[in-house]
Amino acid sequence: MTEKHNIVSVRSLTKAYGATSVLKGIDFSVARGEIHALLGGNGAGKSTLIRIITGTATKDGGELDFRDASGNLLSETDGRHKVAVVHQELALLPHLTVAENIALPHFRKGSRLYDRRLATRQAHDALSMIDRDFAAVALNRLIGDLSLHEGQMVEIARALSSGAELILLDEPTANLTAIETERLFDVLRRLTRDNGLSVVFVSHRMKEIRQIANVCSIIRDGRTVVKSVPTADLTDFAIIEHMGQAHALAAPRVTKVAAQQAMAGEPLTIAEDGFTVVLQPGTILGIAGAPAGPQTLIAALVGAAHAKRWTVTRSGWPGRFRSPREAARAGAGFVTGDRAHRGILHSLPIIDNVVASRRVTRGSFFANKHEGVECFDLMQALKVKAGSLWHLPNTLSGGTQQKLLLARWLNLPSRLLVLEEPTRGVDIGTKREIYQLIRDMAATGTAIVWWSTENAELLEVCDRVLAFDTEGRSSGVIERDQLSEDRLAALTGMAA
Amino acid sequence: MTKTIIDQAGTGVETRPAIRTRESLLSTYRTELAIAGAIGLLVLAVGTQVPQALSWGNFANITQAGAPLIIMSLGVLLVVITGGIDLSVGSVFSLTGMVTAQAMAAGFGGVSAALVGLGVGLVFGSINGFLVTIAGLAPFVVTLITFAVAGSLAFIVTNGRSMPIGDPDFWLLNSGSMIPGMPNYILFCIVLLVAIELFLKKMVAGRWFYAVGSSAAAAHLLGIPVKRTQFFAYVASSLLASFSGLLTISYILNAESTAGSSLMLQAIAAVVIGGASLLGGTGTAVGAVLGALMITVIQNGVNLIGINSFWQGSVTGLAILIAVLIDRFSKSRRGAV
Repeated sequence: MTEKHNIVSVRSLTKAYGATSVLKGIDFSVARGEIHALLGGNGAGKSTLIRIITGTATKDGGELDFRDASGNLLSETDGRHKVAVVHQELALLPHLTVAENIALPHFRKGSRLYDRRLATRQAHDALSMIDRDFAAVALNRLIGDLSLHEGQMVEIARALSSGAELILLDEPTANLTAIETERLFDVLRRLTRDNGLSVVFVSHRMKEIRQIANVCSIIRDGRTVVKSVPTADLTDFAIIEHMGQAHALAAPRVTKVAAQQAMAGEPLTIAEDGFTVVLQPGTILGIAGAPAGPQTLIAALVGAAHAKRWTVTRSGWPGRFRSPREAARAGAGFVTGDRAHRGILHSLPIIDNVVASRRVTRGSFFANKHEGVECFDLMQALKVKAGSLWHLPNTLSGGTQQKLLLARWLNLPSRLLVLEEPTRGVDIGTKREIYQLIRDMAATGTAIVWWSTENAELLEVCDRVLAFDTEGRSSGVIERDQLSEDRLAALTGMAA
Repeated sequence: MTKTIIDQAGTGVETRPAIRTRESLLSTYRTELAIAGAIGLLVLAVGTQVPQALSWGNFANITQAGAPLIIMSLGVLLVVITGGIDLSVGSVFSLTGMVTAQAMAAGFGGVSAALVGLGVGLVFGSINGFLVTIAGLAPFVVTLITFAVAGSLAFIVTNGRSMPIGDPDFWLLNSGSMIPGMPNYILFCIVLLVAIELFLKKMVAGRWFYAVGSSAAAAHLLGIPVKRTQFFAYVASSLLASFSGLLTISYILNAESTAGSSLMLQAIAAVVIGGASLLGGTGTAVGAVLGALMITVIQNGVNLIGINSFWQGSVTGLAILIAVLIDRFSKSRRGAV
């Protein structure tokens, strides 16, 4: 492909935040009509590169070119109008409706009157590309009332409908179910083929990268190590090696033999009128299916909402927790999937973020030096690098922030730990570390409930999987020896 | 700082920089140091125009005049850290003075009248806390209501007349010396500053204030008692406003219905100058006290130099702007935009 067909290209791009050099010379270009996977570990500089292309960050050095279809150089402002981005953390306006959120970018030139009917139609068209049923009911709902996963669809719809020639998708599938992911991929393939749309796709899921991307670039520590190579030419191992994470694959896989032996201790019983799941200590129960069902169950398990349907029983537990506080104190831990809004305490230093759950469960009175040492040990165990425990969490990469959330419950004698998408936005190396970490927690007798939209993950880590159908009803439990993609697809009603 | 760590395989010993496990005071109080420096410069600048500004007598004046604002700011700070706002402090301040003076006129002794006055703070703090936490109303609206109500009650108590203090010994609250050589107003400021700063830094309940202000949703999911923390913040804020009202009537020996009307904005300004964010989750007691001192120093300087006192607000506004810019700059360098 010749240079002039590239819609965007950067050469020797550099960027530093304070003393920390994030990009040290990136070469990257996207040709028209290609789906380009941008790969790299957490902290490699992918998000910074995307921010510079979209103009939310400024470059320190290097070149950034936008060109139109006939190869003419565009100004950065004109070029950026041809780019739409779906951020890893949602960027939606919570007090506006779904329709307004999707259609407002069309009214960028403020001189036009806001035509409500036109806006609604545009929003409907865009959203129904991904999910027709959702589009039929959602247009007038407020963003603030949507779940994370619905918000994700709205954000993607907005990018698709913006008329952009280049769409940057920063982990768009992290909150989507398998069937929505499949639909998204169909839409992307069609638009790239028919309309010459270009797509940059960031994901840590190797299977998806293989499915969707023709070309990939890999960056590592702020430098390009692979530039625009056809995805088919690289093996999975080569990709992981280029990302500098081969060690992750070398790590031994833990056999589940130990976990499968019944551990001493009282089991938990999770029940919904007539339907009962017994959760033995030390086992990992996966939760699969469209978000409605798993979310209700999880809210009940951690006392986050008044749950009418589900009960969780154990001697000394009330059956239904009235608040997360009651749940936490009874030994039921929770790691939210919405890290940015409901997980990390952004204005508090790392140490307060890490020891928060300990303070709640222990009912401690003083914030003491002991906690500093304890937090330090946790950071060592999790291999988190930070200059000081008193730095703010946003000095850390997304994957590292996720580790902080897990650290809250590490080495605590919890009875139950509920995880929502604990590997969302996390690179392959970190993912392995998190799997290991959670198995270690299970090995101490904690029962784990693990909701994931990534079936491969459920197959790898779970002893059993509780599946929900698309209506949000529980459709059955699959035992370890019968776990397979097909069984999951059948029970969740999301056969692709 | 380095720490020797034995690697996991136990094959050898390597030395590498370790994470700090103890807080560095210098980096924690960076903003506060800058404000302290700015106050110093301000005092010196006034001193070049009016030499007596640098006298001990003037420093005593500044602290005595500033003590009520300092104490009120500490209360407002607690609310601001939790992500709320308390607009009622000025009215509670005035009402406390009127009620206390009226109680003395009705035959109460100094101590019992003061307790009645603090009761005003307790009641209004509880109303604020109740409406914000249980009724779930916005802090701005709730405290706007109590601001209006307490403000009008302050007139109703005496029908708008000012009220002299009946107890001849009541001045001792402000200017007496429980510790020889240190007037009470300084003692109160120091004790409250140290107590609140230690509470916020060293006690888990104090850390919850920051957690609630940082993200109430995340704090709730963590099992942090969000509503209890907010309720306590509003009660503490009103109680401290009441107490500063008592200090003031003990100083001027007269209660006015409008005594606190300018103090609410000054207290919020002090908290902001001290580095707290009105979005919640940040702020220190040291900063709030320095902010209150800075406002007092500006007022004092404007008076001494003989500038028309109408300029006071503009100078204070400029000080807020500079302080906020300093804060923003120092934070963005720490990557905490």
